[in-house]
Amino acid sequence: MYAAIRSATLLGTRGAPIMVEAHVGNGLPGFTVVGLPDEGCRESRDRVRAAMLSSGLEWPNRRVTINLAGGGERKGGAAMDLAIAIGLLVAQGVITQESVDDVAFVAELGLDGSLRPVAGMAPLVDAVAQHEVVIAAHATEEALLARPQRLRPVASLGELVNVLSNNAPWPDMDVVHARVLDDVVPDLADVRGQHAARVALEVAASGFHHMLMVGPPGAGKSMLARRLPGLLPRLTDDEAFSCAMVRSAAGMKVTAGVASSPPYRAPHHSISMVAMVGGGSAHIRPGELSLASHGVLFLDEMGEFAPTVLDSLRQPLEEGEVHIARAHASITMPARCLLIAATNPCPCGGAVTFGCSCTVGAKQRYLRRFSGPILDRFDVRINLVKPSTTELTGGAPGESSATVASRVKEVQRISIQRQGCLNSAIPAELLDKVAPLSNEAMNWLRQKLDDGRLSGRGYHRVRRVARTLADMHGEHELIDSRWVEMACGMRVPVMVGTEAR
Amino acid sequence: MITTRYPSWAYTAALASLPLITPLRLRRLLSLGDAFRVWEMLQAGERPLVGITNDVWRAWHGVSASHVVQTAESCIDHSMTVVSVRDAAYPSMLLGDPDAPAVLFMVGDARVLSRRRVGIIGTRSATQRGKFFARQLGEELAMNDICVVSGLARGIDVEAHVGAMAISRDVGCGPVAVVASGLDVVYPPEHKRIWAEVGRRGLLISEAPPGTAPQPHRFPMRNRVLAALSEVLIVVESRASGGSMITVREAMKRDITVMAVPGFPGVPPSEGTNNLLHDGCPPVTDVADVLLALGLDTSGMVPTFEKRITPQESERHILAVMGRAPHSLDEIALLSGMSVVQTAVHLGRLEAMKWVANSGGWWEALIT
Repeated sequence: MYAAIRSATLLGTRGAPIMVEAHVGNGLPGFTVVGLPDEGCRESRDRVRAAMLSSGLEWPNRRVTINLAGGGERKGGAAMDLAIAIGLLVAQGVITQESVDDVAFVAELGLDGSLRPVAGMAPLVDAVAQHEVVIAAHATEEALLARPQRLRPVASLGELVNVLSNNAPWPDMDVVHARVLDDVVPDLADVRGQHAARVALEVAASGFHHMLMVGPPGAGKSMLARRLPGLLPRLTDDEAFSCAMVRSAAGMKVTAGVASSPPYRAPHHSISMVAMVGGGSAHIRPGELSLASHGVLFLDEMGEFAPTVLDSLRQPLEEGEVHIARAHASITMPARCLLIAATNPCPCGGAVTFGCSCTVGAKQRYLRRFSGPILDRFDVRINLVKPSTTELTGGAPGESSATVASRVKEVQRISIQRQGCLNSAIPAELLDKVAPLSNEAMNWLRQKLDDGRLSGRGYHRVRRVARTLADMHGEHELIDSRWVEMACGMRVPVMVGTEAR
Repeated sequence: MITTRYPSWAYTAALASLPLITPLRLRRLLSLGDAFRVWEMLQAGERPLVGITNDVWRAWHGVSASHVVQTAESCIDHSMTVVSVRDAAYPSMLLGDPDAPAVLFMVGDARVLSRRRVGIIGTRSATQRGKFFARQLGEELAMNDICVVSGLARGIDVEAHVGAMAISRDVGCGPVAVVASGLDVVYPPEHKRIWAEVGRRGLLISEAPPGTAPQPHRFPMRNRVLAALSEVLIVVESRASGGSMITVREAMKRDITVMAVPGFPGVPPSEGTNNLLHDGCPPVTDVADVLLALGLDTSGMVPTFEKRITPQESERHILAVMGRAPHSLDEIALLSGMSVVQTAVHLGRLEAMKWVANSGGWWEALIT
């Protein structure tokens, strides 16, 4: 009459264990799902019925109630199909409750009774990893990521019923070789010229400072951005795992071997706010911000993004997490990414080598799209100019990504050792302690503040960038005025006619 | 019937602010006699001029005395003086001009016009070095008691004005600004403060009555007044065509000496000036060139002192390799033989001392 089956549902980027209760009793024949199911769950009924009939199993012509127990959250997706089917079979006495007590079922059912993988296999399996987990055979690679106690890949419902009724042994699991598929990241050595931009890129990578590049088309903005992931240290196991979890939750292909290169996401500027930060009405999915976590989020043509999308980045970038609140759920997803953005200096793109034909008004209108607070998130703001022909065609190739990455790793190691976080995240109250300024540097900054050439917000950011610059040059204690001056130089004013940084 | 009679300038101002008025129509109206008489005729519905289209007559037909009051009040509110060609106060150098404005609105001290006058003009999208040069030239000319005439536009113009007013109030000469809009309509808006200061220390001139918006066609008209008021016209930076070149043509029509500041080839804001030099205009590299062109003795020249901190050895080296052309940071590092980081540090220091300026990734040395 009654059965309780373990399964899992996806909440953002995390799986949550739930109990699927099934009750088959007397009354008018019917099928009800309770326990905050979403549209996808309600559709389960038709899939489960077809799958059971296709597998030669009996559909109970009685009153069926399914309860998705656990939490107050809304349950979504098709991951509970199999658990519902098994629940019905247990309630009808086809399978004993004891045989499924320590087994969790995470799979969608096809109408022919086959088991199918769903989006987010890794976090789903992770939620019930302490039990035996039955999954679709195709999902093995992805499910292995979560390192469950025991994984049981099964091809169809009929086969599974045979196993659970002790008529057959568990099918063998194909041994999956953990293939590590690293993204091929282009090398920094390919970039000719742009020495100043290389330094800025290294600063951004070393201190995790968000960076804005302003320059004409053809200056190499996208080229530089694409090489930033190659400068970041390889991901630690934990980081790589959390990246894979997010990818899996977003329904992307994930292999058992975890890629250890930092992710790189470059969404098109037509992206909606939900796609950027995550969300969705029934089933909350991670956005680009979470997908880029521990890696690089590149916004090309930043001025073309909807202002609401840009402004929605502000709070997550500050906290390193996205909080999505909906009527039935409140979800936190990771958002610790390095933001790199590129824009043209003016509507004409500054196509002329020096100076452009845009009127001051047109330039102001163009740059007014960036709100002050979002511009303020960029610690490093540089101007790029087109490299000359000689630089493009000749000249020695610059340093390779590997050389720079090793220096970046060292600076990151030192900063973590010193203050427990990367330089861009040093809290303002700790600055005097971990980033002390020489007298000369202090006077220099004070002068800038007095002149109104440096804003109060800019002050702290300049100090953090100066900390990174000093670290890059092996000076880990007092910050010399040189580095403060250079940090100021890496914070060019973007608005036309303003000098304040 | 008109009951009260206002001073004559009020009628002049009213005539100048008639709808569809042009400099030529205004000159013809004023040639008929006293402004008051002319106004009376218009108000009575007479048609004193021939060759004026019916549209214009219709527009003028409805004028009333309240129009005079309104114009006069806004002139008084902004302490504007109104002079017409018939007045003794009308600038004498414009009298013989074939295109002279019939009426001028002025704010400030008209006596500065009796000094030697040098026009400084240039593009609105100037290089940092061009702006620096304009400011320095404005200052040095003002120090030498020469009246700087410019247009208060963005870029070179405003820098010349700022330079001319950078000196102490007690010495030198205040500048003249010839603007296109009404004197109460500040354009561009960010020049509000400097606009008012020119009115206090020098002279603001406009052909347009109060309340006139800066319509595009008014700028070429303004340029002809600017050219006519200058004894020597200096083009600091200009593209191959544009507003500055209109002023240059107006000046050449009037046989006024046009001088140009040499620029680096290939930089758009230097194209116009380099073309002028190619066509035989004398070059300006410092204030002495201008004084000589005015026929002044340069031996009594008031020297100006370098107020900026002297840069260090290696920074002087950077300034030397930069020369007069704009460079990217990479180029400067290459030219100076220093590392990018070192160069960036030095440039940061030089920028703070105002020896170099950066715009859009291009660095320029602020040296003359």
